[in-house]
Amino acid sequence: MELKVNLTFHNKKITGILTILPSNIVKFEDEMDNYNFSKAKSLKLKLAMGYNTHRIAKDNTTVSDLCVYGLNYLFEKDYLKKEDIDALILITQSPDYFMPPTSNVIQGKLGLKHDMICLDINQGCAGFEIGLYQAFMLLEQSEVNKVVLLNADILSKKVSKRDRNSNPLIGDGASITIVEKSDKPNVINCNIKMNGTGYDVLMVPAGGFKLPSSPETAEMKEDKAGNFRSLDNLVMKGDEVFNFVQREVPPMIENLLKSSKRDIEEVNYFMFHQPNKFMLRKLADKMKIPYDKMPNNVVENYGNASGVSIPTAICHNISEELKSDDMFLCFAGFGVGLTWASILMNVGHLDFCEFLEY
Amino acid sequence: MKDFLIDIAELLEEEEIKEEDILEDFEEWDSLTILSIIAFSNEKYGTALSTIEINDSKTVGGLKKLIAGKM
Repeated sequence: MELKVNLTFHNKKITGILTILPSNIVKFEDEMDNYNFSKAKSLKLKLAMGYNTHRIAKDNTTVSDLCVYGLNYLFEKDYLKKEDIDALILITQSPDYFMPPTSNVIQGKLGLKHDMICLDINQGCAGFEIGLYQAFMLLEQSEVNKVVLLNADILSKKVSKRDRNSNPLIGDGASITIVEKSDKPNVINCNIKMNGTGYDVLMVPAGGFKLPSSPETAEMKEDKAGNFRSLDNLVMKGDEVFNFVQREVPPMIENLLKSSKRDIEEVNYFMFHQPNKFMLRKLADKMKIPYDKMPNNVVENYGNASGVSIPTAICHNISEELKSDDMFLCFAGFGVGLTWASILMNVGHLDFCEFLEY
Repeated sequence: MKDFLIDIAELLEEEEIKEEDILEDFEEWDSLTILSIIAFSNEKYGTALSTIEINDSKTVGGLKKLIAGKM
């Protein structure tokens, strides 16, 4: 199927990436007893999905805490100047409040200038791509020169500890990506698709205005597979996610490469959103991409923190290369919405590309 | 689908399986095995199965029929 929404941007670049991780490390084995499965079966799941340790934020940690901590670090290190920030885009599904926007909260806590835009966007698995598109669009304006893209989520708070389907893979974290204008006439090719009929494939059913949280929505119930969760918890239809990803992502990437007149061989790394190791391997198999070109080690080390998974993969796998060299990267995000999006762009000579613990 | 029984036996970690065997009765039957079957049938036969369909197919033979019907 031909993709209709192809986006092209020029003269934009990423100049730095910082990933902020909660210091609290939780091991898969420590949570096994919560699950309604034998130890042997849980260990088999661990192996197949690539579960090991994940980063879980403390109960009182918020998305704004992670972002403010990371931004203050960048100011201290002189990687970023407060007055240079023309826009703050926050992609999150775990905001501090329903209102006001959490990006405004962050702006206020940091004492940033008023002459800027703060924008919250409700997106998850494709949040890095959606955030970059928004950053690129803002940078089309003559007076917008530097955009700070924040991806942050602490969705572990919404996942039932007794849900073997979602709990082992979830992770918390935040990332800061600096996006700027570039003098080089580079071309960035992108595409995006959405399918809102799949809105319930990944969701938190209660807690919004349609179904406010109540003692009833907090009631834990067992599903057919033996997982316990309430309507206040995140629920994922794993089989539908798998089928959706296998069906939609390979043609999306094929189309992106074709419309950009590029080959798989020219791409240094396919930095994809990482739901789990199993899914990434199956994608690589289907697309005939070698495993070493599509890193799948985020979930086993940190967990899947939605839109933060690609910045995490970058900081974990290629931070040194990206500081000294230029690389041709393919990003792809897919999940909640349903939303799927991909980007082909050069990234390199970054001012910084590292982890920070909170 | 000539290797079907061998392939499914491998996913179920059984020596040998028969078409009339009930899926739920296998010791290894759980959500991970179901996902393995979804991935396997996607890879080998190009079909998209759901957990509900697989559970509803009841037996090994029923599963075979489900996949064949989607090919």
